[in-house]
Amino acid sequence: MDSKFKSYSRATLAMAVASAAMLTGCSAGSSTPAATDDGQPIEVWARAGTDAATTYAAMFKEFTAKTGVEVNFQGVPDLDQQLQTRAASKKLPDIVINDSAALGNYTAQGYLVEVDKSTVEGNDKIADSLWDEAKGLDGATYGVPFSRQTMVTMIRKDWREKLGLPVPETQEDLEKLATAFATQDPDGNGQADTYGMTVPGSTERGYLGWWASSYLWQNGGAYLKDEGEGKFAANASSTEAQEGVTWIKKQFCTPGNTQPGALTAATSVASPFFQTGKTGIILTGPYNFSSFDTSLGKDVYEVIEAPKGSVDNTVLAEGENIYVTASNGKPEQTKQVIDYLVSADGQKAGMTAGKQPIVRVPVNGDVDAAAVYNDPRWAVVQDALQDSSKAFPSAINFVPIKQVAAEALNKIVSDCGADNVESGLQALDTAINDELTSQNAKS
Amino acid sequence: MTSAATKPAVTPVQAKRSSPPPRRRKGNRAHLLAVWVFLLPAAVLALYFKFIPMVEGIRLSLFKVQPFLGDVFVGFDNYVSVLTDARFMDALGHTVILGVTQTMGALVVGFVLALLLEGQAKSLWFLRTAIFLPVVTALAVVGEIWRILYFPTADGPLNTILSWVGLGPLQFLNGTDTALWSIAVVGIWSGAPYNMVIILAGLAGIDRALYESAGVDGATVWQRLRYITLPALRPAIVIVLTLAAIRSLRSFTEVYVLTGGGPAGSTEVWMTRMYSLGFQRNDIGVASAAAVLLLVVTLLLTVGTQLVARRKAER
Repeated sequence: MDSKFKSYSRATLAMAVASAAMLTGCSAGSSTPAATDDGQPIEVWARAGTDAATTYAAMFKEFTAKTGVEVNFQGVPDLDQQLQTRAASKKLPDIVINDSAALGNYTAQGYLVEVDKSTVEGNDKIADSLWDEAKGLDGATYGVPFSRQTMVTMIRKDWREKLGLPVPETQEDLEKLATAFATQDPDGNGQADTYGMTVPGSTERGYLGWWASSYLWQNGGAYLKDEGEGKFAANASSTEAQEGVTWIKKQFCTPGNTQPGALTAATSVASPFFQTGKTGIILTGPYNFSSFDTSLGKDVYEVIEAPKGSVDNTVLAEGENIYVTASNGKPEQTKQVIDYLVSADGQKAGMTAGKQPIVRVPVNGDVDAAAVYNDPRWAVVQDALQDSSKAFPSAINFVPIKQVAAEALNKIVSDCGADNVESGLQALDTAINDELTSQNAKS
Repeated sequence: MTSAATKPAVTPVQAKRSSPPPRRRKGNRAHLLAVWVFLLPAAVLALYFKFIPMVEGIRLSLFKVQPFLGDVFVGFDNYVSVLTDARFMDALGHTVILGVTQTMGALVVGFVLALLLEGQAKSLWFLRTAIFLPVVTALAVVGEIWRILYFPTADGPLNTILSWVGLGPLQFLNGTDTALWSIAVVGIWSGAPYNMVIILAGLAGIDRALYESAGVDGATVWQRLRYITLPALRPAIVIVLTLAAIRSLRSFTEVYVLTGGGPAGSTEVWMTRMYSLGFQRNDIGVASAAAVLLLVVTLLLTVGTQLVARRKAER
């Protein structure tokens, strides 16, 4: 190598190193993020696909017309990943609307500031139980409830009536119905190509843990025990939980009771089975009404209260909160946005302004979902939410717990020959306790 | 991040080797400048999209990553958690089984395909194109198609075929014993044609006269294959093996699309575990440590294969 070439390469190398240092340097260190008003419109992010984004856009258009406050709204499908990128540059969007379960994760990452409940106009219209769900481990409120929903059971009414079976009222009825759908050719095409329940049994994103929670609660079981003061303990191997999981395992291990391939199916793979008339039972959120109405027809399926387990008919409740981030420097506009979003007008707009409701069941007690949608099916959701629903604790980061639950359950139900319910759930207890310990939330 | 290790970027050394030797001293400087000007776009792209992310990944692997509060230095803690995690070790086992099966399967199938499809005829050209199609099809699409083929009931496409010969129905992706092998078959199906092309190029370089003289000497087909074709193909096979080994360590898409790591974790590989830690659990530090370990293993494997091959060639 001649010397000139050497010096050129050295210079280039030096330049490369320098620019690398410049480019990466900004992300290191731990300076406190500043919250200043940059004079731009308030930036609102929500986890939303294309359809949901149309509703947000229409809703904020109404808001701007009313208040004159400009909003820069972004619907972000992979919200958490994008937030991480923004967090690295210490400039989060001013307001984030996302799952109530994200609260634990966001507070742990330092994304959020406290919300003073008393400054929210109409805070008394929102049930205290919902405000409680927006509390962090330290007992302070970190979010404003925006929308709630529960899982509901949907059943192919035409199939059920053809086979002359009643609306299931217990888990046993549900099981019998599933077996009948699988074995008695409810679609009458002469082929054994129908199945009972649609189940997202994959471990991906913790789907199985999410789906199974309702059935577990219905038998008195639970993944966790709330010990108060922000502390929890694993409770997955109780006799009640074992009973629930035994029922779940039976569905996986009775051929046809769940759709083929259920063990590796995420919701995107599972739901089409119901949508295309291959399965007759699905436990899912009311956001699927519109797509099922289009593909199956409104009259073909019925929405029922969840069948009872040995204890009750609790179903999983979920929802969205409004979060104010630590880099928000616009207190005035933020208050206006929040006040509007939880007002009766805002909630109604969120239900009907666009292609897909972003407010499912309103948190504002003055708004009646069934009346606004003019659809009695929403009354089922609303009643379930009020009388027999339960949410995952949001103060801790529940995502990893849902994940280990899915992994443990997937292992239990995939080995039909083995007597592994108790041992599998004991292993789950250990995994949950480890996770709680790492989050400083173990009692 | 790991892809950075596998796709060779244009480095100054390579560029220098390929540039013609300077003829005159005066033109030297201008010539070098031109070389660098031409190199600059690629170098900047490689720097920005490969090397900086790689360095950043190594940095993150030493931190508890919390972008907003500021990262906390934890030394080698992340590496310890990866190496002591039973799930990662299971994933490593699956990765190795999947890697070896896919690599060897794709090599053998690719070799057979190449022997069958060697030649100049127009019909062969068409066949080769048809067989090469899986390589240029997006893996996500391939995954969805195989998911349908593998439908685990008696009327699933593959199970129907198996029933004609009195087998099945198999559970394929839904069974803990069969899922990993089912994924391997998809990998072989989509990887073999690529190997075929490389081996075809190698076959084209073999002197026909060798076959003819072997025929005159009375060598059987097997002997010709063993003593002429295989030795002549050694460079091609080394390339195929190296590429396949690297590719199979990084296998992600087919597993993610086909099973998502299930059932019961029986198909979880290094990359899917890394993905779920990094992006579903937000544990970027540990995921980065796992990525760095993968990079190191890939490097060792590549260098190792090259060394073994060189030693054999020298002998």
